[in-house]
Amino acid sequence: MISGLFYLLLFPGLLFQVICSLFFEWLDRKLLARFQRRVGPPWFQPLADLIKLFSKEDLLPEGANDLVATLLPLISLSAVLTAGLYIPIAGFTPFSFEGDLIVILFLMSVPTLAYYLAGVVSVGVYSILGGSRSLLQFFSYEVPLLIALSGPAIMSGSWSVEQIMISQGSMGPFILFQPVGFVLAVVGLIGKLKRDPLDIPKAKSEVVGGPLTEFTGAKMGLWHLVMNIQAVLGIFLLTNLYLGWTKTFNPLVAVVVFIIEFLVLVVILSGASAIYARLRIDQLAGLGWRILVPLSLLQIGFVILMGI
Amino acid sequence: MVMIDQKTLQKEINNVIDSDFEIYPGIQGDHTICIPSVQLKNVIVMMMDKFDCRHLSGITAQIRSENQDVIEVLYHFWIGSSFSLMIKLPKHAPKLAEITSILPGADFYEREVAEMFGVEFIGREEIPPLLLPDDWDQGPPFI
Amino acid sequence: MNKISIPIGPQHPLLKEPLTMNIDISGERVLGGTLRLGYVHRGIERLAQQKTYVQNVHLIERICGICSHVHTTTFCHAVETLLGIDVPIRAQYIRALMCELERVHSHLLWLGIIAKHVGLDTIFMHTWHDRELALDIMEEVSGGRVSHAANQIGGVRFDLSQEQEAMIRKTVNDLSDKANTLMDVIENEPVLQARTKGVAPLSAETIKNYCVVGPVARASGVDVDMRRDHPPPPYDRLTFNVITRQDGDAWARTVVRAEETRETLKLCHTILDEMPDGPVSVRAPRKVPEGEVVVRSEAPRGELLYYLRSDGSENPARLKVRTPTLPALNLIPKQLSAIHVADIPVVMAGVDLCIACADR
Repeated sequence: MISGLFYLLLFPGLLFQVICSLFFEWLDRKLLARFQRRVGPPWFQPLADLIKLFSKEDLLPEGANDLVATLLPLISLSAVLTAGLYIPIAGFTPFSFEGDLIVILFLMSVPTLAYYLAGVVSVGVYSILGGSRSLLQFFSYEVPLLIALSGPAIMSGSWSVEQIMISQGSMGPFILFQPVGFVLAVVGLIGKLKRDPLDIPKAKSEVVGGPLTEFTGAKMGLWHLVMNIQAVLGIFLLTNLYLGWTKTFNPLVAVVVFIIEFLVLVVILSGASAIYARLRIDQLAGLGWRILVPLSLLQIGFVILMGI
Repeated sequence: MVMIDQKTLQKEINNVIDSDFEIYPGIQGDHTICIPSVQLKNVIVMMMDKFDCRHLSGITAQIRSENQDVIEVLYHFWIGSSFSLMIKLPKHAPKLAEITSILPGADFYEREVAEMFGVEFIGREEIPPLLLPDDWDQGPPFI
Repeated sequence: MNKISIPIGPQHPLLKEPLTMNIDISGERVLGGTLRLGYVHRGIERLAQQKTYVQNVHLIERICGICSHVHTTTFCHAVETLLGIDVPIRAQYIRALMCELERVHSHLLWLGIIAKHVGLDTIFMHTWHDRELALDIMEEVSGGRVSHAANQIGGVRFDLSQEQEAMIRKTVNDLSDKANTLMDVIENEPVLQARTKGVAPLSAETIKNYCVVGPVARASGVDVDMRRDHPPPPYDRLTFNVITRQDGDAWARTVVRAEETRETLKLCHTILDEMPDGPVSVRAPRKVPEGEVVVRSEAPRGELLYYLRSDGSENPARLKVRTPTLPALNLIPKQLSAIHVADIPVVMAGVDLCIACADR
């Protein structure tokens, strides 16, 4: 009972994920600022932003469904927090079971759908436009992402993240065998997180704030939290699936390696958002279905051939 | 770049309007030609057809203090040098043929003149306000 | 899909100045749109009739926040033509130098904006950082970053010292290096090309029919540049290349402005090299003799037209300002058909809006 609460609220649950997400947001903003010759925010800025948002007035336009609009970020938050419980952190896996990778991927798609619904229930024109874009984007990146992420699972013969990590301990990190799959997963993750350069649903110069245009106050704060936790979990997942050969190491070494891998992935994500321009939605769909999907299938074929 | 001789152009304009016109020579070798308002469209059609002269830089309207009853409308063209057509309109009923249908670039210029001086451009639909507020009810500001 | 109408403006992240466009879209396709100006209409033409020529120099400077200097230069040129006074050649060169620096920073500003509109915030930050160098020169020589108050009727208000000239040369060199790097990045950035190539192409015929001028016209192969075609002094003594492209799409407009920035930086050096010594202003009478004049000059966005009529008093009897943005704005609704919603920012940026100029 006590340990259950500890897992849920402290580690690897709520508190740990919130702290990680705030740290991630700060690091990301700082790195981006340095890439752009700016100074960047101080370390407490994400927390201050969150507190500010929670203390602000909560408004929605007339005709918007307030109950649904409140529930959507809460549902997304619970979905990502739950997913967080099943993702191993530096090899620490309290709730691992066979097939948890599928559960994680399912739970992490919940915010995307909620994001679309948020656009629809908040009735603004930009919200609806952004919502339909987010759905289009979902169909473009999700398929190659899922195919790519099944690569490690097929290679280790198990749909448990822990098992995949154990296989990597004996075979070596899967990034060596599936570099294409890793790149595809990073692209898919950027699409999932709606970060630059795939921030099409919320592109400021086109649709203002996308589905969240009309959101304010605490609801907006929750959405920010959801997005950041999702980013952190996505990075954790990629680390485990492609760079997770530390399972059998000394725990201290595993933690250090895990942190380094996390930082490297953050740098990759920030760098990508700094150097690429935003695609058009039709260009993204073309990229997804003409290039990413065939590439991911090739990668899977390669993995299966290796297994034989 | 279009380069049209002022003299040739004046001769052609003379052919179109079939009467004499006043010429006001400018300081820098440019000319202003005063033509009757009914001939405006014909002259501009001729200039576009014969000289490919479509570089309309602006339309100025003004009222001279020595002649308060007349609104002067100036069409500033660029023909390799400055060249303007002048039309004199009575202030109490300023009506002028539109040229937006043949030269779409004149659209905003005409709207501005219509708004600021109350000139009515015959052949145009109801013109929505361009610069003045939607609820402006004090008449054209320059009158 | 249903037709919906999205408002862009008066406040929208896409716009730096107020303007309203109602754009009809169906899904991701744009069907058309309408435009509404006037949010920053200050009635400057009317106001100018109530001020003296000397006061007007400062009023005119406030028409635009980007190309303020070319406005006053053109106005002073018009008044000086009516007065029949010869401006000292050194003053003309200083004016031209400021105009060219203004073109550099205006084009850099624009490059930053188009980069931001397609999601390249890094380029935006870097261009605007480099643009500060041009503003630094302006501040050093005139004391003002944006409103320089450099012109007076009969000349300019300041002279350039030897040290200032050296500083300008050094900064312009610096800026050339940085601009070259930036242009290389922009010209080789694949996503930027994918976003702008073939977007909203304009034929030379359309450009001529809509009386559009400046870089937009030059990107469609219409070779007009008032600095060469109708040179106000001292451009008749200077040689430079006019950049044109034939494609007429958003990419061509980008390339034309990028190339023009390089060319303009070269011209800055030429101006500094050829600048003669001498006085920088002459006394001008307060009253201007009767007469009227049309003057043209090349602002960063294209041909700028001033019509000035004097009735012999201290105040202008009529001052008409036609800014290059006005005809270009006219073209926006025309471009807004059969494009993607995502192309709206590219189209708007391609025109290089200056609403304050257009509204006056």
